[in-house]
Amino acid sequence: MTALRRSIGSRRIVVCVGSGGVGKTTVAAAIGLAGALDGQRVLVCTIDPARRLASAMGLGALGNLEARVPPEAFRAAGLAPRGELFAMMLDVKRTWDELVTRHAPDPARRDRILKNRLYHQMSAALAGSQEYMAMEKLHELATDRDYDLIVLDTPPTAHALDFLDAPGRILDFLGNDAARTILAPAAGAGRLGLRLAQLGSATLVRTLARFTGAEMLHDLAEFLRGFQGMYEGFKARAAAVRVLLGQPTTGFLLVASPSPLSIEEALGFHERLQREGMPVAGLVANRVTPGLWRGAGPLPDQAALAAALGADGALAARLGATLAEHERMAAGDAAALRQLFEGVPGPRAVVPRLEEDVHDLAGLAALARHL
Amino acid sequence: MPGPFLDRRLLVVTGKGGVGKSSVAAALALLASRAGRRVLVCEVNARERVAPLLGAPPSGTEATEVEPGLFTVNVTPATAMREYGLQILKFQALYEAVFENRLVRAFLKVVPSLGELVMLGKILHEARAEAHGRPRWDLVVMDAPASGHAVQLLRVPGAMLGTVPPGPLRSDAEWMRAWLVDPARTAVALVTLPEEMPVVEAQELDQQLREQVGLAPAALLVNAMPEARFTAEETGRLGPLAEAPPPVGPAARAALLQALRAQHAARHLATLRAALPLPTALLPLLASPAWGRAEIEQLAAALAAPGPGEPAWLPAGPAAARAPARRRKGAP
Repeated sequence: MTALRRSIGSRRIVVCVGSGGVGKTTVAAAIGLAGALDGQRVLVCTIDPARRLASAMGLGALGNLEARVPPEAFRAAGLAPRGELFAMMLDVKRTWDELVTRHAPDPARRDRILKNRLYHQMSAALAGSQEYMAMEKLHELATDRDYDLIVLDTPPTAHALDFLDAPGRILDFLGNDAARTILAPAAGAGRLGLRLAQLGSATLVRTLARFTGAEMLHDLAEFLRGFQGMYEGFKARAAAVRVLLGQPTTGFLLVASPSPLSIEEALGFHERLQREGMPVAGLVANRVTPGLWRGAGPLPDQAALAAALGADGALAARLGATLAEHERMAAGDAAALRQLFEGVPGPRAVVPRLEEDVHDLAGLAALARHL
Repeated sequence: MPGPFLDRRLLVVTGKGGVGKSSVAAALALLASRAGRRVLVCEVNARERVAPLLGAPPSGTEATEVEPGLFTVNVTPATAMREYGLQILKFQALYEAVFENRLVRAFLKVVPSLGELVMLGKILHEARAEAHGRPRWDLVVMDAPASGHAVQLLRVPGAMLGTVPPGPLRSDAEWMRAWLVDPARTAVALVTLPEEMPVVEAQELDQQLREQVGLAPAALLVNAMPEARFTAEETGRLGPLAEAPPPVGPAARAALLQALRAQHAARHLATLRAALPLPTALLPLLASPAWGRAEIEQLAAALAAPGPGEPAWLPAGPAAARAPARRRKGAP
């Protein structure tokens, strides 16, 4: 067993992070599959709006439901898992609704929030909403279920760091004291216009109203009033999630491809995890072009290839150019990996660029063998 | 300016993460400016890529000329908010009194989607701005965020029409939406790779843009397309040589990998073209470890001057070929 597999094997939660397009979802699914093959009961949870995991795991719709990958799917792939594999797709809106339902003091309050126009917009579109709900769901799954391993595939954020900052940003929104101070009279009276004059910062609010419209302020006041009293519950929960993420039985798995952008992101995320004392499970360098020309000798020229092949010069020329091109890509990848490995010590795996797309369990199993 | 983007004022470049959106945006902008257009490239609250790709230092939040006729800018929520606030309040002093207030700053952060709205507003404002009776820019290129995030950003004006009561914010959302969905002014280019997941995601993105934003993409740009370099007969001959000693073995293996990659790419391209009947440009796979000016020039050259007998833009397939919208349970 590799150091990376040992590191993953010692954890209950593995959070896969990396920039978009590095194959995070596929790596998450492969890790889950490897655990199931070894006898673990594993859940792979993805948030990706492109629903990639679903197709990779041969599953249809996954909306917030943990669905077991059926035995016949394994049989068809020639696999005999000793454990079980489950997959789910996070439904952001539903997770928000569940959270509100759990924290609302009474059904009336719950309904008032669920019906609020701004709530709908926030749960669907507020930046960080997905990430926050991913963590919220992770906490629920980790405490209420008995999986041996939960693999979380994080949303395809522009910056991997967004994932760690999201809960704070949303909590800032829900617990925004400035907004409460400014809007308190509106929230208390229900009619903004009536109370503006009585407010010390009346000019301020009137100017703001010019900017957003008075009704908008009213809606917002109403919304924040709905959340009043629930904020502490949200905050406590977010703190609990933070503790969960910091435990040694949790681990962040950095996934990177050899592109400069991806390496930069991975290094940045690793630095951040170190600074915050978060556990790092390891590193997967994905889609790496392996070198084919071993040894130090110069690449063969067209004449050498033509002679060795007994082939025509035109084919030999194309072969020579293709090998040179391949080695150029391999050398570029190797240099990128050296930079990555220097910055991120610890267990790691290098997965070669697979020319066959991974879209079924057999493909995932093949990928898992590189981990 | 190539193919389907001629005479548009705003070009939105989007696609899955990692497909090379910024490189393609840079190449398109370069071509447009060489055709004599005044071009502004807007990056959206990102680590700046376009100016460095063109060999210039990052522009920051002020539109900066990185070469004659080509400007770039990084649009951030903070600067966009300031410009928007000044536009409404007219007076710097009043803006400062109100918007620099600690409470107000904290407050503005919580108005949902306001950050997105003002960033998009800034970009659309640049696109429609006129000076001396003519547009300030002939073309604004928006290097949009990746798929899901791009849809979230572009749907903000429409979403606000549904949630925000009448007022200044709403009127802005109204003109912004009208501009975005006007095909005479705005075009969306989908960037993708000839690989399975990017192809699936391009189709989903196309559907989301049409259903959630009301925007029909105008073109497909398929990046990193490997050339068909070896015939089937040749790969048949090379197959048994893969394990041969050097130099033949490694050369044969490199050729077989290249051939396999080209073969898969051709298949994925065919799938994509059958599903999305859009004018399509193919950009070559470049074996460069790092991206810079030279690589952008190669992309631009591929867009401008195709190989012999090859159109840069493959025409759209028959419209009826567009696959019926795939709906998954739980999809919005």
